[in-house]
Amino acid sequence: MTVSDLPGLNCGLCGYRTCAEMAEQLPMKPELLKRCLPMSEHRERSFETKPFSVPSPKKDCGACSVACAPEKTDGVKWKDSLGREFDFYLEHFPEDPGPREIIIPHNPMITREMEIQRGDILIGRPLGMSCGCPITHCGVVMEVDKRTGVIVWCVTGPLQPRQHGFKDVGYYIAEGYEGLIKQTRCEPKIGMRYYFQPQLCMLQWRHSGLVNYLNRLKDGYQVRLEGLWIG
Amino acid sequence: MPDRIYFDYAATTPVDPRVAENMIPYLKDQFGNPSSLHEVGREARFVVEKARQQVADLLGASSDEIIFTSSGTEANNMALIGFVEAHAEEEIHIVTSAIEHPSILKTCRYLEKRKVSVTYLSVTPDGQVEPDSLQAAMRPETRLVSIMTANNVAGTIQPICELVRIARQHGALFHTDAVQAFGKLPFHGGQDSPDLISVSAHKLYGPKGIGALFVRKGIRLNSLIHGGGQERDLRASTENVPGIVGFGYAAEIARQGMASETARLVSWRDEMIGHILGKIQGSYLIGHPYRRLPGHLCLGFSGLEGDMIKLLMLLDKAGIAVSTGSACSSNHPGEASYVLQAMGLDPLKARGSLRVTLGRFNTQKEIDWFLKILPKTLAELRPMTTDSFSSR
Repeated sequence: MTVSDLPGLNCGLCGYRTCAEMAEQLPMKPELLKRCLPMSEHRERSFETKPFSVPSPKKDCGACSVACAPEKTDGVKWKDSLGREFDFYLEHFPEDPGPREIIIPHNPMITREMEIQRGDILIGRPLGMSCGCPITHCGVVMEVDKRTGVIVWCVTGPLQPRQHGFKDVGYYIAEGYEGLIKQTRCEPKIGMRYYFQPQLCMLQWRHSGLVNYLNRLKDGYQVRLEGLWIG
Repeated sequence: MPDRIYFDYAATTPVDPRVAENMIPYLKDQFGNPSSLHEVGREARFVVEKARQQVADLLGASSDEIIFTSSGTEANNMALIGFVEAHAEEEIHIVTSAIEHPSILKTCRYLEKRKVSVTYLSVTPDGQVEPDSLQAAMRPETRLVSIMTANNVAGTIQPICELVRIARQHGALFHTDAVQAFGKLPFHGGQDSPDLISVSAHKLYGPKGIGALFVRKGIRLNSLIHGGGQERDLRASTENVPGIVGFGYAAEIARQGMASETARLVSWRDEMIGHILGKIQGSYLIGHPYRRLPGHLCLGFSGLEGDMIKLLMLLDKAGIAVSTGSACSSNHPGEASYVLQAMGLDPLKARGSLRVTLGRFNTQKEIDWFLKILPKTLAELRPMTTDSFSSR
């Protein structure tokens, strides 16, 4: 292999500035050749003229997750990202900055020790009991119960903590969710446990919880769920 | 230690000071409308056409094949919707991939509601579209194939020439979203080059708000924006002269310095991959080991995927700007995941990646500093598992 056998594009994609520089290295390092991307691109490839099958334009072809992602309005599939069924989507209150959760740090004393108050930005991970989600959550404090250590916060995502700093509560237990049901395939009833899909759950895993507050609205339900589990 | 290190060049690039300097006259004294017949207008027309040639040169194209747009997103929309509308009477099947930018995927969804059928190709675990899968997806009514040149999340470079040849065999046109690859990979404009190419200035050290679509001569597209007939009647509106001038000059700089810049970024990329995978237990590379964009790393850390947001914030606090798809976020509830999930990563890993993208203004000192800081920062995270579990 000499420099004249290389494409001569001097593109740098192999890590050498010129094809000549690469050609100098090839006798010692022949495996470098595979790093010549233009060369591998231009290699002759014989395409058989076998008749090709015509894939039907079925939506559930399984070819990708994008095309077949659950539709949230028309044609809701009522299945989570692991293919498990659920009964309704839980959405956050439009006036809230994100999904409203009732949480308690594993050491409730830190609510006082860290002087957590409304408007504070927190991060932490729901560990173990209740929603043992593997994702660190970020949110804004809405209410604080200093006596019990219980905090109500709205999960918002990372932009605020990045901009304004945060307090790290470490591990916490998610005790309850509050939100709206606008899409459901059943009539929710108080006292019943349901599988549901938090609309903004990044893993799109179904959760289950007990409805212990239900208020019918003209376009859905206002709901509080406790006794939460993932799955 | 540098005050601030920017390692997010795939998101956007700083404007090269040389580009900014070239744009200034067109923000101040040389304000003409290129369509005006007087001298002020003619001056503006001259610089717009010069920039068109500069962009064309980097694509190996003719200047009359370049249509300026407001962005890569608009160029993608123009390519797909413009093509379908220009062939409205025909049955149209489009083939694309599952890992395209939303400006392709959402446009395909839009077109599906207008009786266009679309096949979304899956990709290999390292993020490549296999030529055989394209071959199998082609139908007699396939008129357009749209596959990105390189992926923005994983950085994997597609075998575009092979894919173009398959499209040609079946009489279909080939579009590529080259926003991430433009100025980093060579384009030659030859027979096995795409027929439509979308590019953007702000990934190329140019200004935001300006992009372009290469349209091979003879291809029929309909305009999405109707009005005064600018850009060969394909994209009405008074030209963004400062943006176009900046884009042209950015393309010129890229063309002249591409080989050395690419080689430098490849070298740093491979140094970082080797160092991180070798020294940080549980680290893994997402995407292809070398068929990837020159300065692009997409990394995961076993057991820490759920805590990537904290990693990002700690790095940010240390003055290092990187990107992650890990945000449990109402701001971007699903971002990035679909690409990595299509590559076969589970939903947690798909969100728990760290994207580090290098560029023109990075230095060896910054690379060294990052490699020093990263293990310390990872040690501050809260692993999913106990120490005894993760060390098993």
